[in-house]
Parts: sequence; structure tokens; C-alpha cells
Amino acid sequence: MSSCHCLMIRVFQCEDTLTGILSGVYDAWSSRLGHRNVRLQTGDNENMELFCEYEQTVPDLEKAEKVLRTIYKKLGEEAYEMIAYAAVCPHSGKADAIYRMIVIGLSLPDGREISRMLTQPDVQLVFELRRKAWHIAHRYMGFVRFRELKNGVLFSEIDAEADILALIAPHFADRLPLENWVVYDRRRKKAVVHPAQKSWMILEEAEAFADLGNSDEEAYYESLWKVFHRAIGIASRRNAGLQMSQLPRKFRQFMNEFVDL
Amino acid sequence: MDYRIEQQIDLSQKLEILADAAKYDVACTSSGVERNNSGKGIGNCIKPGICHSFSADGRCISLLKILFTNECIFDCRYCINRRSNDVPRASFTPQEVCDLTIGFYRRNYIEGLFLSSGILGSPDLTMDLLYQTLYKLRTEYHFQGYIHVKAIPGADPELIERTGYLADRMSINLELPTAEGLKALAPQKNRPKLLAPIQQVRRMRIQNKNELAVYRHAPRFVPAGQSTQMIIGATGESDWQIMKVAEHMYKKYEMKRVFYSAFLRVNDDSLLPVIPGGPPLLREHRLYQADWLLRFYGFGTDELLSEEKPDFNLLLDPKCDWALRHLEQFPVEVMKADYAMLLRVPGIGYRSAGRIIKARRLGTLDYANLKKMGVVLKRAIYFITCGGKQMYPVKLEENFILRNILDGGGRLRTAAEEQPVYEQLSLFDDPRFSM
Ligand code: SF4
Repeated sequence: MSSCHCLMIRVFQCEDTLTGILSGVYDAWSSRLGHRNVRLQTGDNENMELFCEYEQTVPDLEKAEKVLRTIYKKLGEEAYEMIAYAAVCPHSGKADAIYRMIVIGLSLPDGREISRMLTQPDVQLVFELRRKAWHIAHRYMGFVRFRELKNGVLFSEIDAEADILALIAPHFADRLPLENWVVYDRRRKKAVVHPAQKSWMILEEAEAFADLGNSDEEAYYESLWKVFHRAIGIASRRNAGLQMSQLPRKFRQFMNEFVDL
Repeated sequence: MDYRIEQQIDLSQKLEILADAAKYDVACTSSGVERNNSGKGIGNCIKPGICHSFSADGRCISLLKILFTNECIFDCRYCINRRSNDVPRASFTPQEVCDLTIGFYRRNYIEGLFLSSGILGSPDLTMDLLYQTLYKLRTEYHFQGYIHVKAIPGADPELIERTGYLADRMSINLELPTAEGLKALAPQKNRPKLLAPIQQVRRMRIQNKNELAVYRHAPRFVPAGQSTQMIIGATGESDWQIMKVAEHMYKKYEMKRVFYSAFLRVNDDSLLPVIPGGPPLLREHRLYQADWLLRFYGFGTDELLSEEKPDFNLLLDPKCDWALRHLEQFPVEVMKADYAMLLRVPGIGYRSAGRIIKARRLGTLDYANLKKMGVVLKRAIYFITCGGKQMYPVKLEENFILRNILDGGGRLRTAAEEQPVYEQLSLFDDPRFSM
């Protein structure tokens, strides 16, 4: 009964970025080992498993773009967005779920159906991660605080639980097209940089951001904002618990209305 | 004789006075329009709106919410800025409002501006100042973020019209749910005068839609629609009367939002009630939940309340309350029920209802799936079956359900082994995020 194929599972270890994961999808697919015999994994491998062989996937823009185009064409915009968003959330199973979702999607007569197959566990996970990523990104669209540096650049620092820079960059690029601005992710030492009237880009290993100090106007606007923030609350409806659940402490360290100068 | 000591006050003091004076206006949402930047200015709008901070009362801060002036010639009894009060007074200039808006917006403190005002001199004069401010922001600064502006009742309709082409949302507050209440507490205002600009905005919006159908690039008039606000508990209206007014506002005037504001006794005035326990926040919360049911769940006011039962149950949300009075319509089979019926199940929101409809076409659902789709099982289990099965053998019986739902902290007393963790049922579940 037990027909041992003696097959090892090949685990493709990819970099924890969209490019990394999609390169992994490309490699796993073209390995022709059969979908059941491959697995995708992001990041370093802490616990190696028996009966697995490991292969490092090198992130490759060209491969990733090919996969992305296929997703867009065959699985539709919705699935495309799901995958792009899910890829930024920290989750150990995301790369494999994305791979399975693509495999199933491409086997359907109409690949667009895949984004609605929420009873399928892999699709469900990607769906959930997308929701989570969107939620995180959306919060940062509001909670990012720019301060104006001496040279007029608007500078902001965040410490995000997911790699959302590329998700929020288009929003701010559209919003502040004529400004030079930077959002720096302290946790990942990455920054998105937007020169006025040009397109934004991501800088990796952006360790040293020389702090120029604030512009002369900066302290004035910060104090005005604090005045406003204090005045707009209704004392007889004070609700610190609600305030805390809507705006947890981790965000507050970057928001001047909560930091005492 | 009236002695007034003229004193220069700086922008910071003005902001303090005029934000403080605006804080009772509850509308602060920046939602309803999607607009990209033209590439030549500052700002955009995204449809769901964005919260930029939260104030000490837990409300979202999205807009720079200020009065243009609180030097008001009117004497509305419930209002802190009424003429007869001795409070610090200030007025902005259009330039100052622009500086604040742009300075805050660049730093990502806000989504835009919410400009309201007391009546300075006359309605026309005030409306003109609001218009000038918006004009400056839109044309000099090319500001493309969100603007919510008040239309001043009694102002020249042409001024209101011109302002409407610069704003995203316009609002005229009804102030009190009924004409009688208004007469008693705001003697210089009257219902027809408040309704006139509401009617005008509605008319212009329809006209504008037709224009836009022909000329795609025609300027847009109040694209995020209009909203209004009522004070709850200052006068003796029942919830039923209030919801009737709200329903009328949605149907007849195509209001985007009706806001409810629990009465705060800011003035010591013999005509104002003293409410033991402070502002009726829970009542306000129930009205918001019911409002949600009207707008997104296909309920009518007369299903929820009646002359005989004119007020909401403060212990239960209106949807649960309705369901318990209509147990004959339950349980609902999740795999078969239509969208309208799913919406009526406590614990199923409109998003999860939509997801259920889509997902069940492609496969069979179980309770774990439902949970993942956002269904609040601790409420829904009494009212649904999934694939013909109940999650646990629970009774479809009013008192039993009531006891269990109210005992949110406790566990279900059934024989089932595996049970989900019950969260404490919060009476202040925000209706905008749950239900
Ligand atoms: S018009 Fe009435 S409600 Fe408005 S600011 Fe003046 S007194 Fe207050």
C-alpha cells in the first residue's frame, strides 16, 4: 500500500520581499518537481526538517515581473492586489500560500474566481494577510508625521510591524507631489524617498539619515497642532480607554501631540 | 454702555478658542470622495477617509475642525458661543485658516478642513468669509484635500452655490429634531430657514450630476454630499421621532449622513434639562446603530420602533432587539438565505454577508469559515444554521438568548466540548466598526 516515492520535498527559501517570493514561485514552478513536492519559505530556516532539501532562491526582478504579469492577466487585479499586499505581512506561511493560490488559480477555467475562493485555506490566508496589511498601511497613512527639516524636506520616521513603505508611498506621492519627502522605517532600515515632481523610490540599508535639524517654522506648527489637539477633546466625554484602543502606544512615540517637548 | 477691551491675540490663542468652540460638532469624517492630485498642488482624497489622531474623548481626528468665528450675534440656548455668554471671542482671517490648513496638511496631521462658523454680523457676511477662505485655499494654494464647510442658513443662495463648488461636503445642522424644539431653544432660527439651504444643495447636486453626465470635466458640486446633525436629549423627542426625522432626511434630501450629538449642558439655562448621569451617550450610541441599520441593512424606522415602543432598549443593540422580537424568522440557513435576510442576522455585518454570498457559490461553508469572514459567532449562533446544523444545540428562545447575550462575559451552558473564547461584550462597540 505505501508506495514510497522516496521523494524529498524541495524547499525554496526566498527573501522576505514580494520580489523574493515571486522569484521563489518562478523557481518552484520551473523546477517541474510537481506542486506537491515543493514548498516555499521566507527567511532563514531555523528548524530544518527531515526529508527536505533546501534551495536558496535568489531574488530576481525579471522573474518576479514575469510572475506578476501572469497573475495580473490570468488571475485578475483583485488577486494581484491580494498577493502584493499579503507579501508584506510577517507570516511564516505566506510564501507557500501565495504559491498554492497561484497554482490553483491557473488550474481554473476562469482564474479570476480564485480571489473569491475563501473556503480554500491558502486563499483564505492570503486574503487575511491582505486585509491585515491594508489595515496597517491605512493606519500609517494617518499616523505618519512629517517634520520639516532645515532644507525644506519633510521627514518622517516609523517602526512598522509590516513592510508597508511601498504600500503607502503611492498615497503620499500623489498627495504631496511638489514636496521632497522621506519616510524612514527604523525597523527595516529602509526608506522611501520622494524628490519633488519625480517618482518615489525605496532605499535599502538607509542607515544614516543625517539629521539636519528642523526648520525654523517647525516648532511653531508643532505647538499649534498640540493646541488644536488639546482643544478639540470634550472633557465631559473623556475616554482614555477608547483613545488607547484606537491609537495604541506604539504609534504615539512618533506623534508630536503625544510627546512632550 | 458696552466697554470692550480690544486686545491683540495671536494665532495660537485664536486656534485654541475656535477649536474649542467647534468641538461639539460631531461630524469629522473625511470620507466619500476619491480624488487624485492634479500634479500641480497639494492634497488628495481617499474614499474611506483617514483618521490622523484621536482626541482625549476617543473620537477620530481627521479634519482641522474650527469655527471661522465665535463672535456670534445669535443666542441659541444650548450653545456655548451664544451672544449672552461671557466667553473669549475670536475670528480668523481667510489667510490664517489657509496657513493652518496647509501647515498641518503638509505634516500629515489632517485630511483637510472642517470650517464651521457662528454668525458674524450677518449670514451673508459670514458666508462670504467662508467662501473667500475656500476660494483662496483651492485657487491660490491649489489645495485638493478634503473640505467640509457649513452653509449658513439665511445667506444668499448664490454664495452658497459658489461655495458648494469648492467644498467636498456641505452641512446645515437641524440642531433639534423638531420645529417646536428649535423654536424653544433657538429663537432666531426656524425650521423652514434651515431646510431651505438643505433643499438647495440637494437640487444643485442633482443638476450637477446631469451636467457631469454631459460634460465630464464640469466642476463638481459638493461631491461627498451633505450631512446634518441633531442634538439628542435637549428636548423631549422620542427615539422614534428622531429616527423618523433621520429617515426623512435620507430619503427626501439624499443626506449622506445624519449625526447625533448627546446633549451636553454647557449653559446654565432654565429651559435646558438637567440629565442625571450626564450626556446620554448610550442613547446616542443606539441611535447611531439604528442609523446604520437604516442606511446599510435595509431596515425601516417603523420596524425598529413604533408609537407604542418609542425608545430603544438601552441594554441591547437595535438589531438584536429586532431579532428577538422576530424569532419566527429564525434560524436562517447561511448556505441558502438571500443577502437581505443575512443582513438581518445579529453578528453578520454587511461585509461578512457579502463575503458569504461570494464564497458559498464556490464551496461549502462551515463555522470556522464564517468566523474568518468576520461573523461574530457569539451573537450569530442563536440565529443561524450552517449546512443544516447549529454550531451548538442552543435554544431559539427569547429569554435564553437574552440571558446569554447580556452575559457576554460568561460561557455558554451547553454540552459542547469545544467552545470559543468569549470576549466581554462591550456596550460601546463602535457601530462604525462592528455589528
Ligand atoms: S448660531 Fe447659535 S448655535 Fe451657531 S454659534 Fe451662534 S449661538 Fe451658537
